Amino acid sequence: MLKFLLFLAPVAFAADPFTFGEAQSLLRSNCQKCHSGKGALGGFDMTQFPDEQSVIARSKLWNRVANRVREGDMPPPGSPAVSMVDREKFSGWVTTKLHAAACADGITPPPFPLRRLNRNEYTATVRDLLNIPVNAGRNLPADGAGGEGFDNAAETLFLSPIHAEKYLEAAKIALDYAMRDPKSRAAFLTKEPDARATLTALLPRAFRRPVDQAEIDRYIALFDAAQQRGDSYDDSISYAIQGVLLSPHFLFRLENSTHDFALASRLSYFLWGGMPDAELLKLAGENKLSDPAVLSAQAIRLLKDQKSTEFAENFVGQWLSIRELGRDIKPDPKVSPEYYDAEIQSGMLYEPALFFQEVLMQNEPLTHLLDAPYSVVSNKLARFYNIPSKDLRQQPKRFDMPAGSHRGGLLTMAAVLAVSSYPARTSPVLRGKWILESLLGTPPPPPPPDVPELKEHAGATPQTLRARLEQHRANPTCAGCHNRIDPLGFGLENYDSLGRWRETEAGQPIDASGLLPDGTAYKGPVELKQVLLAKKTQVFQNLTRKLLGYALGRGLTAEDDCAVDQIVAAVERDGYRAHTLITEMVRSIPFRQESKR
Amino acid sequence: MKPLSRRTLLRGTGAALALPWFEAMAGKGLAAKPPIRMAALYMPNGVRPDMWTPAGEGRDFLLSPTLQPLQAFKNELIIGTNLWNQAAKGGDGHYVKMSGFLTCTTVTKTLGVDLNCNGISMDQVAAQRSGQNTPFASFELATSPVTTGVDRNVGYTRVYGSHIAWSGHSNPLAREINPRSVFERLLRATRPAGNVVKQDLQLLDLVLDDAKQLRSKLGTADQVRMDEYLSVVRSLEDRLQRSASPTQANWKPRVPLDLAARPEAQPKDFAEHVRLMLDMMALAFQTDSTRIATFMFNNEVSNQNFTFVDGVKGAHHSISHHMDDAEQMRQYQLINRWHIEQYAYLLSKLQAMCEGESNVLHNSMILLGAGFRDGNKHDPHNLPVVLAGRAGGRLNTGQHLIYGPDSPLSNLYVSMLDAFGTPVERFADSTGPARGVLA
Repeated sequence: MLKFLLFLAPVAFAADPFTFGEAQSLLRSNCQKCHSGKGALGGFDMTQFPDEQSVIARSKLWNRVANRVREGDMPPPGSPAVSMVDREKFSGWVTTKLHAAACADGITPPPFPLRRLNRNEYTATVRDLLNIPVNAGRNLPADGAGGEGFDNAAETLFLSPIHAEKYLEAAKIALDYAMRDPKSRAAFLTKEPDARATLTALLPRAFRRPVDQAEIDRYIALFDAAQQRGDSYDDSISYAIQGVLLSPHFLFRLENSTHDFALASRLSYFLWGGMPDAELLKLAGENKLSDPAVLSAQAIRLLKDQKSTEFAENFVGQWLSIRELGRDIKPDPKVSPEYYDAEIQSGMLYEPALFFQEVLMQNEPLTHLLDAPYSVVSNKLARFYNIPSKDLRQQPKRFDMPAGSHRGGLLTMAAVLAVSSYPARTSPVLRGKWILESLLGTPPPPPPPDVPELKEHAGATPQTLRARLEQHRANPTCAGCHNRIDPLGFGLENYDSLGRWRETEAGQPIDASGLLPDGTAYKGPVELKQVLLAKKTQVFQNLTRKLLGYALGRGLTAEDDCAVDQIVAAVERDGYRAHTLITEMVRSIPFRQESKR
Repeated sequence: MKPLSRRTLLRGTGAALALPWFEAMAGKGLAAKPPIRMAALYMPNGVRPDMWTPAGEGRDFLLSPTLQPLQAFKNELIIGTNLWNQAAKGGDGHYVKMSGFLTCTTVTKTLGVDLNCNGISMDQVAAQRSGQNTPFASFELATSPVTTGVDRNVGYTRVYGSHIAWSGHSNPLAREINPRSVFERLLRATRPAGNVVKQDLQLLDLVLDDAKQLRSKLGTADQVRMDEYLSVVRSLEDRLQRSASPTQANWKPRVPLDLAARPEAQPKDFAEHVRLMLDMMALAFQTDSTRIATFMFNNEVSNQNFTFVDGVKGAHHSISHHMDDAEQMRQYQLINRWHIEQYAYLLSKLQAMCEGESNVLHNSMILLGAGFRDGNKHDPHNLPVVLAGRAGGRLNTGQHLIYGPDSPLSNLYVSMLDAFGTPVERFADSTGPARGVLA
């Protein structure tokens, strides 16, 4: 139990939570006027909560209260302000209490919500079903993100009329290609020219579960209709399969089939971003997949398959915001023309995902994510990093960093450094914020209303950026957050806005030292990595939350957070081995959808 | 009636020979009263406030520096001053203000669960009542895919910052960002329905049946998702049915689709991308493939690099936080002005599309605006809003209308919906039509 308490609410950089009495007193002095008695605003009547038990009983409401206070929405503008430290102590009290209460009585997972395949999953599923190297989902609209920040979150996978139109178009494009390609035909027209046999083999794969005769008959009817109007066998079977690709049984992740088949899909969409293969479906058919040992072994098998690149790209791209590079954040072609070299660009974009995949596949310690003696780079990227590259080719591969290199680990990868920069220059603020949010899982709250962004622009004043930032931190309104943000970002100032090493900027030597709010002083990226390694529990807790949110495709609940604690504890016990993270993840209660372990 | 230009005629000839129904070329289709079109263009990141509002009032006004590119259209404009969207005054700086721009409601604060804009956008109010008159009820166009991730600093999913059109409380409409795809859609819609349509309908029939059966086995929350699916498949079915049925095929393209206008699939840069999307909107209006469109220059909080504009040295969102620095403000205004130039480009394009004795611009109303005024402060008061085109004569253009402080933006939407032929008694927090807008 003691161990679990240490995991409660991330503590680094955040003040210790209030006690019940302190929280009460904050409420009384700041909230009472609007939030008590009959007609309490927003349906929140604080007089209804005389003790902690009553708070725990309304966990959803109190989570909202905590968030609104933490983010500075409440008290609203115009009321006396509450300091950021107090806001955090208050929300810390709520989340700590709710967390402890949620974990105390065991984990009951919420149901797995129905969702459609997202664009990437659709593409991968069509590709594997028909064995075609075609991006069939190319014309579908991109999907937004919800929950823990991923585009596979059920809550934000909405449908618009344009989807129906595009699904129809995509099914035609895919089949048009598949029917002409002998390799593809051999994969899915196995029983040619027997339409029934072909569909009998195809449908269970397409729907990722067993199908009955009546279901097959429905698609045979499409085939027959095409035959009756005089279509060839090819056109007729293609027409029937178009129907399959438009069916909600294909387009949606449905969990109304047996437990094991649902598990097979959950596993394959997690680690491959696509449909389960024959082995998974076979094990599901034999009801073996729910055996934890089999489940773990299958997870590792999937992880070691090259298809896990899909997972690494989707997960890392969104966890670390790297997907924004080239989309929402485009380096300035005048300042950084090198980025527009296709090989450097793809090398940059792929490095974090391929490295993450390497750590996982090879069962390396997860601490390598923060600092590793190797990376996965191409020849050009290595030269871009100014490290010897004689063994490297165009295809990225694992590569040992020269001894004493400041590179290694996610933090000093070009893509990370570029996505946390402005198009034409670096920003310690953006980089500090990136570390707090992506690695430590403690995003700073937004600036209070009417306080504009910290001025970093190189103006007429001949000061350095660091001096200007320090000046702003003299302002107490800004200091609360920027004391946490800026000192982390300074450590990376030796990297330019594309992530290349530099010793000077505008003729001035670079000062890459930082003084953290807890008194830790450090200098440069190598020491910054040590600072983060000292906070590895917090980093892995954040990674685990993100990964579980991705695996489940939804935002996490208080009870999911208990599962996160258990997974992190197991990973720590096992010396941070990467495979343990994955096997504990798939064996967790929320993933298996089984109550009480 | 003005004849079609020789160029259009030549381009259209091939199609007209192939497709006998293009009697429109002979003037038959054009004789009918031209339809009214409506569009809304959204600019992210607000505007420099002191360079936006025209001097003077009513018909006697001078365009501001930022609106200067609209000089040629001065008599076609209605510029509204002091309008705001009260429901979006709180929340965060960007997401609430963009996603509520056309709904005039407050979106629910969420990272995803309970995604809700608590209203329907005004374009969709119109689309739901008149959309059956054209192949597409509405077009949602943009240049950037939905922004990735959720914004944990402020606690909103970025889905909110990427959508202005909402067909239902939890139904943002996905946007098309590829100009070539828009063109292909126009091409399919303006072609006569062949056997393929009948076959497609048979597929959809089966699919709908699957979905209905499935729905009965689902829990309440999941049923909502299946209903969404049923509804989007039905909307496609409905469109295909209308195009295939000889008795219902009362829609014809007003002019043949200009095949030479087929755009590149990959625009070479952002500026070209914007123009191509606006071209597609103009074509859709000209052919009458849809009468309602929204276009987002970019997603809210966009940090689009604007160094392609002379005198601008940085990215949009960063510059919008100008901190009252003279140099930053100068660049901010240049970016605003660039957006107005693109708007003027669309207006001139529509104006050049003859339609009987008038032109498509005359028969349209094209709104341009932002969800807040000064980007530096995310100021929700006195939104930058311009309307262009006369809606076939229903709008009293050529005016700068100054309302009382904090007048509802929704009043303008009430007037627009009236002019469009889909009047509503109320829209969100409206208190009546906006004074002086209707002729």
